[in-house]
Amino acid sequence: MEMDIPRIELAGIAPEIALTVAALVILVVHAVLGNRFSTWYLPYLATLGLVVAGALAVIVWDVNDLQLSGMIALDNFATFVKVSLAVFGLLTVWLGRDYLTRDRLEESEFYALVLFAVAGMMLMAAAADLIVMFLALETFSIALYVLVAFKRRSTEAQESAMKYFLLGAFSSAFFLFGIALAYGAVGTTNLYSTGPEADSLFRFASAGPSTDLDLLVLAMGLIIVGLGFKIAAVPFHAWTPDAYQGAPSPVTGFMAAGSKIAGFAALIRVLDAILFPLRWDWRPLVIGIAVLTMIVGSVLAVVQEDVKRMLAYSSIAHAGFVLVGVVAANDRGVSGSLFYLATYGLTVVGSFAVVSILAGPGEHRTRLTDYRGAFYQRPLLAGALTLFLLALAGVPVTSGFVAKLVVFGAAIESGYWWLVVIGVLASAIAAFFYLRVLVVMYMQEPIEGVEPAPSGGWLANGVVAITAATTIVFGLAWGPLIDAAEHARFFVAGG
Amino acid sequence: MDLSWLDAAIFAPLVGAVAVAIVPSRNLSTLRLVALASTIMTFLLSLGILVDFEAGTPGFQLTTSLSWIPEWGVGYKTGIDGVSLWMVLLTTFLMPLAVLASWSITRRAKAYFIFLLALQTGMTGVFSSLDMFLFYLFWEATLIPMYFLIGMWGYDRRIYAAMKFFLFTLVGSLLMLAGILFLYFAAGDNPTFEYQALLGTPLALDAQRLLFLAFFASFAVKVPLVPLHTWLPDAHTEAPTAGSVMLAAVLLKMGAYGLIRFAIPFFPDAARELVPLVMTLAIIGILYGALVALVQKDLKRLIAYSSVAHLGFIVLGMFVGTLQGMSGGILQMVNHGLSTGALFMLVGALYDRRHTRLIADYGGLARSVPIMAGVFLFVALSSLGLPALNGFVGEFLVLVGTFFGYRWWVIPAAFGIVLAAIYLLWAYQRVFHGEPATEANRAMADLNVRELVMLAPIVALIIFIGVYPKPFLDRIEPSAERLVQQLKQSSVVPGGGVAEGP
Amino acid sequence: MRVAPEYYLSLAGLMFVIGVVGALIRRNAIVIFMFVELMLNAVNLAFVTFARMWGHVDGQVLVFFVLVVAAAEVVVGLAIILLISRNRGSSDVDDVNLLRW
Repeated sequence: MEMDIPRIELAGIAPEIALTVAALVILVVHAVLGNRFSTWYLPYLATLGLVVAGALAVIVWDVNDLQLSGMIALDNFATFVKVSLAVFGLLTVWLGRDYLTRDRLEESEFYALVLFAVAGMMLMAAAADLIVMFLALETFSIALYVLVAFKRRSTEAQESAMKYFLLGAFSSAFFLFGIALAYGAVGTTNLYSTGPEADSLFRFASAGPSTDLDLLVLAMGLIIVGLGFKIAAVPFHAWTPDAYQGAPSPVTGFMAAGSKIAGFAALIRVLDAILFPLRWDWRPLVIGIAVLTMIVGSVLAVVQEDVKRMLAYSSIAHAGFVLVGVVAANDRGVSGSLFYLATYGLTVVGSFAVVSILAGPGEHRTRLTDYRGAFYQRPLLAGALTLFLLALAGVPVTSGFVAKLVVFGAAIESGYWWLVVIGVLASAIAAFFYLRVLVVMYMQEPIEGVEPAPSGGWLANGVVAITAATTIVFGLAWGPLIDAAEHARFFVAGG
Repeated sequence: MDLSWLDAAIFAPLVGAVAVAIVPSRNLSTLRLVALASTIMTFLLSLGILVDFEAGTPGFQLTTSLSWIPEWGVGYKTGIDGVSLWMVLLTTFLMPLAVLASWSITRRAKAYFIFLLALQTGMTGVFSSLDMFLFYLFWEATLIPMYFLIGMWGYDRRIYAAMKFFLFTLVGSLLMLAGILFLYFAAGDNPTFEYQALLGTPLALDAQRLLFLAFFASFAVKVPLVPLHTWLPDAHTEAPTAGSVMLAAVLLKMGAYGLIRFAIPFFPDAARELVPLVMTLAIIGILYGALVALVQKDLKRLIAYSSVAHLGFIVLGMFVGTLQGMSGGILQMVNHGLSTGALFMLVGALYDRRHTRLIADYGGLARSVPIMAGVFLFVALSSLGLPALNGFVGEFLVLVGTFFGYRWWVIPAAFGIVLAAIYLLWAYQRVFHGEPATEANRAMADLNVRELVMLAPIVALIIFIGVYPKPFLDRIEPSAERLVQQLKQSSVVPGGGVAEGP
Repeated sequence: MRVAPEYYLSLAGLMFVIGVVGALIRRNAIVIFMFVELMLNAVNLAFVTFARMWGHVDGQVLVFFVLVVAAAEVVVGLAIILLISRNRGSSDVDDVNLLRW
């Protein structure tokens, strides 16, 4: 007797496999070789893993396929996100290396966890089945819970890890309940149909008015709530400021960049590709969340006294801006959101790199008052932070401006000009707190008798330089990146 | 690549900024000289524009068009007509003088000159962009250097003033950004940011109204029109001398320029509808600015409010819909730049000597500093529109234009001129005549060579425009004529035109 | 015996709501975590019911995924909570208030 076995094609998850292998190798090698020279070979191994993963993601550009029994989508959308994630991972590893050395923290676990988290995030972008999406979500979330608590002896870090963990688990349950209801409504958790007989969320949603969609709409709402936690949208943002403040700065930057792009990748795939036929059902909810997120994030950021916390609220506000692109639900909306997430990620990793250097050993100096006169003590770092903050504020010549331009443009193209007006007003409020940091850095004198933080290592400085360069380059020559984002299409059956 | 003198003039200051950045920061005099040399070089380059510019044609000249982000229809497109020509020249002309006015800056001079030069690139770029993306880029790019100039080298309340300046302008320009995007998508299947392609985009009247208001918000803040002017007295007063000079002479003109270059031609129907509103705001600005200037105790604040009044005049001329009004308004932009720039330089010179801006602290200076008193009086006379000086030509044209367009509106406008005479001459009298308030006033030093060099070109131009405005008007009028025509055109489509959801 | 799936689904819904409310109002980290586990079990019940309803085993397989993930979460979560209660002798979230907006 013979049987069918499914085609086994691994191209779709090759980057994730590479990362997992690299992470395991790091753990084993460190266990065998011990601490001698570990500050050198561990980052090299992690870099190698990420570079290989990025390369494996790039070589399948323009492949349009479903793999592993329709569980994994191999499309340019996933590839774009994966490459961005590999870059964020690289920057985090480099930044983390100097950070760990400075603060004398454990090493191998850090790199392994970052790699695991990147693998989970990548899987999130490629998931073509809700249950794979859930597994990916948990993979990177659990890695991040530990990373947030990485400064084990710091009570702040413990507290933020606990809050992040509890709310993360709470939100996963929502996401999961949404999956269960979707399964109940459709009979499968698969997003795309693979054959003429097979059912899928997409087929069900596009079947037209005869189908009973109530259960699916409810499921959709719960999935939006669950992912809303991960992208830090209001009212699911409560964990963000605490987790961002307590986590080591490199991890915070990584969370802001990676967690956001992964969460949004899943959200965009589900809403703008699969449930596009139901857009009139989900739009009111997402618009409400977007408006709340933009306004609450911007307003609460204004009153913050801690720079990391302020950047946390700013990251909340930015989730709102990306949601504007999601609401648009057109080609420009998808490509604009991807462009936004990629450039925002680079900028935010850069800002946290500066924060991590300026905070000094033990990260004790993150309050706004600690930045007084920073320009006169560390002109280059302060200048880079200025650039990042202007980019976050959306000032031209930076990538942040172009990002806002493309998502707002998409929304206007869809007819949501009033949402854009709310968005620009929120970004005007947001500009206020970025300016506050500039005032402190440039227009106040340094505190007498306080030594400036020691300068960062060459890797940390390199990360700042790279992110600063990309922030400018993607602000002026944004053609290639937006072109790539526009080609980052979803999987199309038979396409 | 075909680059013109214009492009050279836009980016030369950036080269200068790089040069300044290379000079070691403790080498103060070298820093100054490099900055000065770069601005003078830029001015010489901009003379090339004047030579190449053909008088008598209304269209854009010295155009450059380079592909930039073809995916989104963004290009590097520059060019000037008779309006922007004088704005660019005004900028490049005043910049070396502003550097000369910055000799008192000794703290962090390197950053100061870098910001000043970056500001120049932004301003020149605003006046010569023919692509909305590029325009917005330059428009916002002027914001940041100015923010730092006020915030880092200003006076006591500098942080408050800098914040207020930044936020007011930002809110306005973000609304304009939304408007630009809307226009971009309304333009058709092949979206582009190119200015001339967007002209005449058919739009429904209600969309036009909203978009006009979005653009107007941005430009009215910059001009500024009452009631959006409150940032101006603070910013002017707290900014360092060169900052005040450039703010009054050029940055405010960006608002007026934006109104005639973008707001009116893009949305002529909405503009026509709102002419009475704009004119009312302009008249209120003229009278309110003048009256408030009368009661100011602080010299810089007084000049700031006089700017509100003068800009009211300029906007009035631009919206009355006659050639005289438009040309007068445009010429008046140059005139106000010269006279108010010079006034701020003089107040800066006074401040350098006595470290106070209060009128009450001065008095009787005419005896100790006769040359300064003479120059001050001369510039004040130019500012209030004495015949044979430049201000007269512009104001006269605006009044004539207003008379032809809206007869009775001339009366409040003329009243504004009378008030200008009162507050300026009264201020002159209190500062330079009467009894000196302190002994220090008696021993004050007169204008030195640097200050004379800085003021002499302005004085010369004030006389030149006053007696022989023809070369200026020859180049302004064809473009002004076209702008007036644009106000009369219509691009309204009944119904459609508004982007609808899919 | 044929039973309408609504009974099971209502029970699952009720468990989920109890879990949500409990997690929101209780202040002890361990107890909150238990309520979250209750929510996950509500999900499992829903999966099994739906699997029965559709007549295939997919849903039952999904339950195993949920169980495994929940176990992994417990490992990390309890470690974090343990770390905190060792440090302060309490796992009450209200005692943990260094971070405030």
